[in-house]
Amino acid sequence: MYKKAMVVGGGVAGIQAALDLAEMGIETFLVESGPSIGGRMSQLDKTFPTNDCAMCILSPKLVQAGGHPYLHIITNSEVAGVEGVAPDLKVKVLKRPRYVDESKCTGCGICVTKCPTKVPDPYNKGLSQTKAIRIPFPQAVPAVAVIDPASCLYLKKGTCRLCQKACGTNAIDFTQKDELVTIEVGSVILACGTTEFNAKLKGEYGYGVFPNVVTSIEYERLLSASGPTGGHIVRPSDKKEPTRIAILQCVGSRDISAGNEHCSAICCMQAAKDAIITQEHLPKAKSTIFYMDIRAYGKGFDRFIAKARDRHDTTLINGRIASVESDPVTNDLDIRYITQDGKVSSKKFDMLVLSVGMQPSVSSMAAANNLHVRLDSAGFVSVDTMEPVTTSRAGIFACGSVSGPKDIPESVMEASGAASAAASTMGDLEVKQIKADLPIQKDLRGEPPRIGVYVCRCGINIASVVDVPSVVQYAQSLPGVKFAGELMFSCAQDSQKAIKAAIETHKLNRLVVAACTPRTHEPLFQNTLEQAGVNPYLFEFANIREHCAWVHQKEPANATRKACDLVRASVAKVKLAAPLYRKSMGVTKGALVIGGGLAGMTAALDLANQDYDVTMLEKSGELGGNLLHVRSTLSGKVTRPELAGLIEKVTVHAKIKTHFNARIKKVSGYVGNFHTELEGNGAPIDHGVVIVASGADEFQPAEYLYGKDDRVVTQRRLEEMIFAESENSQTVSDKPHSAISNLKSVVMIQCVGSRDDKRDYCSRVCCSNALKNAIAIKEQNPKTAVYILFRDIRSYGLREKYYRIAREKGVIFIRFEKDKKPEVTNKGGNLVVSVKDTILGKAVSIRPDLLVLSAGIVANPDNKALSQFFKVPLEQDGFFLEAHVKLRPVDFATDGVFVCGLAHYPKDIGETIAQARAAAGRAATILSKKSIESEGKISSIRQEMCSGCGACVAVCAYGAAELDPVKGIAVVNEALCKGCGACAASCRAGAIDLNGFRNEQILSMLNTI
Amino acid sequence: MAKSNTDVIVVEELDPTFRDEVALMPGGANIKRCFACGTCAAGCPVTNIDEEYNCRTIIRKVLYGMRREVLASQAIWLCMMCYRCYARCPQQVDFTDIMRALRHMAVRDGFAPAEMLAREDEFDKKSQTLRRELVKGAVAGKKPAAKKTKVKAGR
Repeated sequence: MYKKAMVVGGGVAGIQAALDLAEMGIETFLVESGPSIGGRMSQLDKTFPTNDCAMCILSPKLVQAGGHPYLHIITNSEVAGVEGVAPDLKVKVLKRPRYVDESKCTGCGICVTKCPTKVPDPYNKGLSQTKAIRIPFPQAVPAVAVIDPASCLYLKKGTCRLCQKACGTNAIDFTQKDELVTIEVGSVILACGTTEFNAKLKGEYGYGVFPNVVTSIEYERLLSASGPTGGHIVRPSDKKEPTRIAILQCVGSRDISAGNEHCSAICCMQAAKDAIITQEHLPKAKSTIFYMDIRAYGKGFDRFIAKARDRHDTTLINGRIASVESDPVTNDLDIRYITQDGKVSSKKFDMLVLSVGMQPSVSSMAAANNLHVRLDSAGFVSVDTMEPVTTSRAGIFACGSVSGPKDIPESVMEASGAASAAASTMGDLEVKQIKADLPIQKDLRGEPPRIGVYVCRCGINIASVVDVPSVVQYAQSLPGVKFAGELMFSCAQDSQKAIKAAIETHKLNRLVVAACTPRTHEPLFQNTLEQAGVNPYLFEFANIREHCAWVHQKEPANATRKACDLVRASVAKVKLAAPLYRKSMGVTKGALVIGGGLAGMTAALDLANQDYDVTMLEKSGELGGNLLHVRSTLSGKVTRPELAGLIEKVTVHAKIKTHFNARIKKVSGYVGNFHTELEGNGAPIDHGVVIVASGADEFQPAEYLYGKDDRVVTQRRLEEMIFAESENSQTVSDKPHSAISNLKSVVMIQCVGSRDDKRDYCSRVCCSNALKNAIAIKEQNPKTAVYILFRDIRSYGLREKYYRIAREKGVIFIRFEKDKKPEVTNKGGNLVVSVKDTILGKAVSIRPDLLVLSAGIVANPDNKALSQFFKVPLEQDGFFLEAHVKLRPVDFATDGVFVCGLAHYPKDIGETIAQARAAAGRAATILSKKSIESEGKISSIRQEMCSGCGACVAVCAYGAAELDPVKGIAVVNEALCKGCGACAASCRAGAIDLNGFRNEQILSMLNTI
Repeated sequence: MAKSNTDVIVVEELDPTFRDEVALMPGGANIKRCFACGTCAAGCPVTNIDEEYNCRTIIRKVLYGMRREVLASQAIWLCMMCYRCYARCPQQVDFTDIMRALRHMAVRDGFAPAEMLAREDEFDKKSQTLRRELVKGAVAGKKPAAKKTKVKAGR
């Protein structure tokens, strides 16, 4: 038996899980119900809060999944059943016919042009038309046509077959039938996501009747360059540009009447993003968002909301709209709403966007049922806070929104976490050896340059500004260029085929792609070159999107000239390129985990269970971290026994060694080969990876009489008081009553130390904490009055249920604004809290027995030193800054270093565990390898010219440059060098050259311009 | 509607059992679920002509325990029982039946004369008759009946 796994669902979560498994050497089957992987993310225009193009960051992952030797993508398929016990599972997969032979189809698209049957395009949510045979979207993987049997003339009526006649490779196969196959795997990961709420069920908003009412996902398509209008925002009724856009939140979310109690977790941020992007497209457009609570609970989210409001004319109105009227003549929309102070207003809008929520899809529920996995009452896969990726069936895991609404980074974290969990169950099995069959690189010595140039249209991103055909024509005229062509999306899989074919046909030995940025896409084209037998460094990227089309939108003629210049310079540079080779280095099969809290212990256990040595550093004298102060989860599960169990497992594990009261003295080395020295005596620790799980601290309030009056405490202290007499009880409900039950009145104040000018971020857990403790107080004594003073209740996702339970138990919620904070005074020995009730327009005065402050979470001050030891960045609030906020949430730009838990950003227990498992999973992708490769583009020193001045050593941020103590000249550590070029620029003697950017190459580029 | 004498709500002077009592009345079960989104008030035809009337405000006062102020108010008699608030409420708060309950309690506890309940029917009939006449007049292209009957059309 080999290590094998199945991932069900090919959205971003499924793709990440499958890629992580494949990278660990586990043969993985990715089963997708649709014709292409990509999921909902492939339909989004941009992603919050960085406004990265969704497809641009997803597409490289699609291509990587499509080409990974350990990954098999099975589309148009669903799981039909499972037998056996993990790790010996037999999963039945029902493959529906595609009617196109995937091995023969080249994705050329001729069939699509010949097909006579037009149908609404599901990729564009029916806003445009496609054909009965189609390639799902330009970047689809596999980039193979599919026939929709519901609309194909031949399959319905037995005539036509025009596609079959047109196909040059005989790929159309109408004889395909449903096929049931059995796949043996050790573990399964469910990642089949959710579906959108059907907005027609909220008839009062007129969706499906009024033409200018659209859903948020339709609006994404209208914003997208690959959408039905090519990214030109027009309203459906008259194709005019809208200037007044209303966005309504919580359509089918937080709505018990509509059947969905949960919050969909992403829509607030999506609305803010859409408002910003709308104004970027249409400067005169202004958006109005109608909301109940702004749930900006993630990293940088509150600042993003402020950006929409302050810099993009977005109006935020706290309230739901009751109904919508459409003018029968103009199709303008009339929206009536009421403000907090009770003023009824009416406003005209050109368009209304309904932020439709996520809900479990019929197909994902069926998949879960067929795998005998338990669902919760709403239809999400049921998981426990303490085991966020573990389902009710052994060996089957879940990630992404299938187990509750969540955004992309949360889904990606869970995906890596689920991959790690799945891998841990297969620790004993062998890795199947699959060779990536790369052709041997051709020896090009002595060959004159034969350069190929491809110019990318990037849909309309480039082509709407730059005249692509004329750039192609220009490129053809350049000396050394043997071939030039254009591509609709150069990153698409069929484009890689086209490039490979051109390399063969025209015997190309160098390639220039004029497209977007090498930051995201260079590895893709380098991989294509490798597959064509060309050294991957004989490649040059001309960025004619970010550096040209996007910044010169209003000057198409000049932009086209500039694109020609950029291509000419790239051709000049690639002409002088030499093959470069990556160096292979060994990997120390051990991990260093910094921090012995929940995150650190979870990550350590996952890695130890995969048989890697783990050294854990804890700065205090005991394990547990912040979890030592937590007594129960939001769902009422007590955490003490869980923590004790975890500490026990870590303590007795033969593969885990813990250093208490540990302080790092020195760190050297690089990915695969780190050496860390601790303060005091002791041998340095050799490790291949580092997981930073250094936690965070509770904010120490100075406001609201905290520290001056014993009756003012933090939520953490309250929790200890609630549980004071129940240390050994197993559930919240069977604990004895504590002193809390004698209290008449308790007031909680939210956002203490969060969301203010000093710390402009949401601490994410405090709303849930307040709800949890308020419910516990009410359970001990229903007569205790509890008031929660809040700014927005952020009980995102499935946490919304507990907000309802708290209200039903009689907790009173009073909203206050940032600049109208409650006042706390001591009047004659009584605590008095005053706050303005915005709905009643009156001051409220409360005399509580206990005032509880929801103190925020602040970054660990040690992070600064750690960031310097491991050369990883911090963000402005002192938390660690991951490599990419969307798709690399636990990685750093520095290889081999990972982050999880509160060190990354405030998060709750379940999220911490998921992220810790993710960090372990990502770390395992390195530890599982026998060797890793260095960069190719690194510095090289011409020894004879080096004077040994040491300037390069001083400027190198990665510690890669050192002075050889014997020869007295500089040497470069090839493994550490990131190829930044700082040393080359600093070298007075001109002794340093950066491979891939040699001086003569740069000069040649300059000379040609 | 009756204005409270003071501009400060002192919660210790209020009656927290009020909300539980309302919750036990027919249709009152979900009142504590209200999260004050305002959907009810935004769509209310009475609020549309008189902002002083606001279902969200009334629910809020019940939740605080402002028994006297709510039961003695005119506001609880203004609702025209169209159930639009209930139809649109995302938390299934049956505000119309809550109004019924509050009226019942107001009469029971002596905050309003008993004949108010009977006269409700009369008011509804009169206002509907007036509406019918306005509509007929408008559709027939005649001058609106409003001027003849000297009823202000509201704001």
